[in-house]
Amino acid sequence: MSTSSTSVKQGRSELGVALLLLVLGGWAVIDALRLQELAIRGPIGPKTVPLVVGGLLVLTAVLLAIDVLRGGRGEQEAGEDVDLGHGSDFKTLGLLVAAFVANALLIERLGWPVSGAVLFFGTTYALGSRHFIRNAIISIVLSVSTWYLFYLGLDIKLPAGILKGIL
Amino acid sequence: MAIIVGYVPTPEGMAALDSAIEEAQHRHQRLVVVNSSRGESLVDPRFATGAEWHSVDQRLADAGVDHELVQLVEGKDAAEQILALANDLNAELIVIGLRRRTPVGKLIMGSQAQTILLQAECPVLAVKGKA
Amino acid sequence: MDALSELMNGFATAAHPTNLLYAFLGVLLGTAIGVLPGIGPAMTIALLLPLTYSLEPTQAFIMFAGIYYGGMYGGSTTSILLNTPGESASVVTAIEGNQMAKRGRAAAALATAAIGSFIAGTIGTLCLALVAPQIVKLAIKMGAPDYFAVMVLAFIAVTTVLGASKVRGLAALAIGLLIGLIGIDPTSGQQRLTLGIPELADGIDVVVVAVGLFAVGEALWIAAHLRRTPADIISVGAARMTREDWRRSWKPWLRGTAIGFPFGAVPAGGAEIPTFLSYVTEKKLTKHPEEFGKGAIEGVAGPEATNNASAAGGLVPLLTLGIPTTATAAVMLGAFQGYGIQPGPRLLQTQPELVWGLVASLFIGNVILLALNLPLAPMWAKLLRIPRPYLYAGILFFASIGAYAANLSTFDLWLLLLLGALGFGMRRYGLPVVPAIIGIILGPTAEEQLRRALQISDGAVSGLYNTWFSKVVYAVIVLVLVVPPIVGRIRERRASRETPELQHSDRTGGQ
Repeated sequence: MSTSSTSVKQGRSELGVALLLLVLGGWAVIDALRLQELAIRGPIGPKTVPLVVGGLLVLTAVLLAIDVLRGGRGEQEAGEDVDLGHGSDFKTLGLLVAAFVANALLIERLGWPVSGAVLFFGTTYALGSRHFIRNAIISIVLSVSTWYLFYLGLDIKLPAGILKGIL
Repeated sequence: MAIIVGYVPTPEGMAALDSAIEEAQHRHQRLVVVNSSRGESLVDPRFATGAEWHSVDQRLADAGVDHELVQLVEGKDAAEQILALANDLNAELIVIGLRRRTPVGKLIMGSQAQTILLQAECPVLAVKGKA
Repeated sequence: MDALSELMNGFATAAHPTNLLYAFLGVLLGTAIGVLPGIGPAMTIALLLPLTYSLEPTQAFIMFAGIYYGGMYGGSTTSILLNTPGESASVVTAIEGNQMAKRGRAAAALATAAIGSFIAGTIGTLCLALVAPQIVKLAIKMGAPDYFAVMVLAFIAVTTVLGASKVRGLAALAIGLLIGLIGIDPTSGQQRLTLGIPELADGIDVVVVAVGLFAVGEALWIAAHLRRTPADIISVGAARMTREDWRRSWKPWLRGTAIGFPFGAVPAGGAEIPTFLSYVTEKKLTKHPEEFGKGAIEGVAGPEATNNASAAGGLVPLLTLGIPTTATAAVMLGAFQGYGIQPGPRLLQTQPELVWGLVASLFIGNVILLALNLPLAPMWAKLLRIPRPYLYAGILFFASIGAYAANLSTFDLWLLLLLGALGFGMRRYGLPVVPAIIGIILGPTAEEQLRRALQISDGAVSGLYNTWFSKVVYAVIVLVLVVPPIVGRIRERRASRETPELQHSDRTGGQ
């Protein structure tokens, strides 16, 4: 019973994928229609390919919806380190995204050496590591050394932020 | 009441198991063997493989000790697992193996043995591995 | 003869100490990531794309090719010792390899894998050196309609061959093409699909796309489904094999090479199909059929040679036509485009030092790989003890730094998250990632060729198929589309005829 109800649930969310494809296709078509054709540069203007791709997206949306309604299900990607026995772990996922967002928000304010360390520390925490001292040391060493690596090795100046002048 | 031994497939772990068997025979107590992994890495050498675990079972049966084997992968440290189990079973004694550690190593990695020694409510027998 | 003298010049380039260092770094890194769970060569090259901002193209590609080859080597180690293949190309190796290891023959399995990979890699690279100039001679005459036809073939093949569901493959391709369209249209200068966001006017940086789909998407997917139970690993010393092992291995190595190289050169989903074919072939030809399923050395030797030969084969269309056949090749093509180099028939003339240096360094890399893998297998296996939190935290960390460094803009980090979410969703709903990345990277070039072809023919659709070459390619496309379903249907019919119960139910249904 529980398997059939999860299957129905997955079916519903798979129809969501079809809907997303439909929306993307519609976007491509609408965006293409407002483009101006310039006849001088050959018979194919900027519109054609987006229209074709948009059409392809709409077509796959329809085909996918038919496939799902007939009982077809997408195969979740397996992997050596993946256990599909349990569902998605949204708590871990949420924490990971939070660490990622923290980096994006902090990188220009506090600089990469700080935001990168926050990112690494946050992701290790999200993934279940609880060796706080060890993780903090690794995080700081990694973010500071990559800052130097990019600065000296690749000549890319990542934001130094609050550590400006110290590094 | 029971005796709990933290087992790892290393010389220290074997030494701890030997002492624990002696204690269990001496005290006529049930022996609970704990082997755990945080499950963080794909391969954890401190987590007993099927064959190793089976040989532990065999040794205890040969020694005629009333025993129970517990293998745990719950994302917790070994010390946490052992302390929790000692609490649940109202353990009489905890037996652990000790290995030589540098102060820096202890600072960074933490010490499972130290945690158990400091936090256990029952006596702890700490055994060194045979050199 | 010409190719050989060019190759000698290539060795002079590759033997330069700096280039040797990058070849060494590449194969070292490649082997490591081949061993590590959850990281493949495509992801690694994507994460290393920021290096292209300052590295010379020759050095960067020597390193990337080393990673490509090394990944194939490293994958076999985990397949044999753990029964969890490090790469999709090593899935077949695990069947016999792990059985051998369980019977105490891990050292022989590792040795036949490493030596077989070396032989296949060397022969494959030699074939690459000999075949590439010939293809270039042919390709130099190719016009826009021919190119467009080849690209359509690449799109079709990659969507229909890969994965269980063709609809989902096609959907993935369409998503890729859509992402490839974002930015300013090169001929009319109008913005397409940019939503008026200035950062999107130049299109999405290839680093952000590759890292988002491969690194962030993969890391999020694995993190959400992490396997918790530690795997049993079989301990092993240095890899070595007996005279008997040699005698049983050398033919499978050569057959594997012969199967792998041509398959690598066509867009048929990389090494999965040829390695499987090689396994089936060895099973049929073996004098020890009773050992298959219980650790037959032929079942390791063949597929391992095959996957390395297919890696070499994959470089042929990449370097001569600019067509990627695997995810790794697609990311490498992205790197070429990042340098403003368009791989294609002219590459050999415009960048001979790069191409031949790359080919020569592959020979050198193969030797280094053999030296690294025979004695050091136990050391590589130790890499598996790295706690996963560090592994996946590292991936997200380097993905973020790479995406940010592309334009030094936070916008790319948000885009990276969005693409990561897309990658996660695709893995969740069975949309293969490879058609998407090939669509993104090849789409804009395909549009350009389409426009050019129709410009030449003045808008007549016949301009797309008025050359003999394009006609042949379209015929192949039709075959790719039509043959598999027909074969499937015939097989079904035959199967139903051979099953009496079905026949019976057919009859009762007919009444």
